[in-house]
Amino acid sequence: MVVCNLNCAACPFAYLCIPLAIGAFLAIKRYQSRLQKKRLASQVTFLFITNTAFIFGATGLIYTYFYCWEGPLALMACPIGVLEHAFADRAWYLLPYLFGVFGVSSVIFGRAACGWACPIGLLQDLTRGRRTKHPLDEKMRYLKYAILALIPPVCYVTGTLAYTNICPVGGLTATLPHLALDPDGYTFTAFFVPKMLILAGFFVLILLMTRGWCRHLCPVGAMMGPFNKISVLELRYFEDKCIKCFKCAKVCPMQIRMPYDNRSSECIRCGTCVDACPTDALALAFKWK
Amino acid sequence: MMKKAVALLLALALAAPGAYIAYTHVKALNVARCLGCIAMEPKAEKFREFWVEYPDSYKNEGIPAHPSWVVNESREHVVMLFFWGPSCEPCERQWEGMKRAGMVEGSEKDGRMAENYSYVTLFSLNAPFDKNGDSIRIYHRKGGTETPTTVILFERNNTIYWYAFSGEANGEGGRPTVEELSGILEKAREEKYGGVQP
Repeated sequence: MVVCNLNCAACPFAYLCIPLAIGAFLAIKRYQSRLQKKRLASQVTFLFITNTAFIFGATGLIYTYFYCWEGPLALMACPIGVLEHAFADRAWYLLPYLFGVFGVSSVIFGRAACGWACPIGLLQDLTRGRRTKHPLDEKMRYLKYAILALIPPVCYVTGTLAYTNICPVGGLTATLPHLALDPDGYTFTAFFVPKMLILAGFFVLILLMTRGWCRHLCPVGAMMGPFNKISVLELRYFEDKCIKCFKCAKVCPMQIRMPYDNRSSECIRCGTCVDACPTDALALAFKWK
Repeated sequence: MMKKAVALLLALALAAPGAYIAYTHVKALNVARCLGCIAMEPKAEKFREFWVEYPDSYKNEGIPAHPSWVVNESREHVVMLFFWGPSCEPCERQWEGMKRAGMVEGSEKDGRMAENYSYVTLFSLNAPFDKNGDSIRIYHRKGGTETPTTVILFERNNTIYWYAFSGEANGEGGRPTVEELSGILEKAREEKYGGVQP
């Protein structure tokens, strides 16, 4: 049983809980509505569950969001890592498991994992990048699909975990925590410097653009996005109640053209628009029909 | 409704048998904690002598529970466990280096020691996928994040002596150089057989 004795200097989990505590404090101040507080509670809970290998050990479950399984406390497997292994190792039997897990999660929740569970999503909610009106922004969204499409052939041809080598999420959630735990305990491979440069770019992106990683580059989001069209959890739009004030569009962190594009593959079901709507014309609801 | 139900059923039909087939292998990959994949390798102590019990740098204490197939083989020969994974570049580099130096023959998958090293039995183990691959856990340092790459063992007077490379041993991140490896095998031969060369 791990009990906090407030001795952070000697605690191996300090790298996790200090940023978490600061983040939660800032977020609670910012998140005013009830739905957003629920979402924050969900994100923090998932961040904790994500890092519970110290209780349950490493398992064969797969995250339905982005987190590195080489992290010191990672409980489950990274979906992109499993995809890479399937193609690099020719271990095709990993694919039904991966796509099945993502299928079940995405048919029920759509891309809600990005908004309600992903620790990288939580980080972006905290950094609060700016909204952008650049004309290229719309087209840049397809980059993540291109990255997802490239991973299998590159891994197959090279026989390596090509994306992992440069993955900024791995750098943030695995490389840095390992270094924080034991700064003198490691040597570095040739990929260390490129990985850290890409991680720096990742931070610039999420500081400059609202949900910049989710919208433009995240291959896990690309896996789930198309399911938004048929997911059981829907963002419902009641046109008769809408007064066309477009407050929903102004607050959407994914910069979707709300309220008309409520079934967009970019929607992360965060409910920010639901909270902003003065006439309850938008609602998050589980609907089979 | 039908569309959503069919999609969910299809996903479940993929996920359930998929999990049945692949869960243990995904777990093995997760347990392995490939630090080389995140651009770093743990430092390791250099070889000084063979161990009987776990040294201080290991989380476990006492004598390791060496697998029975290793113990049996170590009675006759020096044993080398070479752990690799299909997408592990450092593993492949080490194998190719050993092959160039005339230490091993064949590929990682079906490799064997070369004639000059007939006193050594090689077990080349695909760590995540072979049935004996999980023996890698016995030789983990610090409770599982520092993956062993090569283990050398031999038996003398009913005692198993061993040494494991885990982490950076000689500049190649967790991987021994060929010179270092051949030196350790030679040392194992001297200690196991004394003056009598097999």
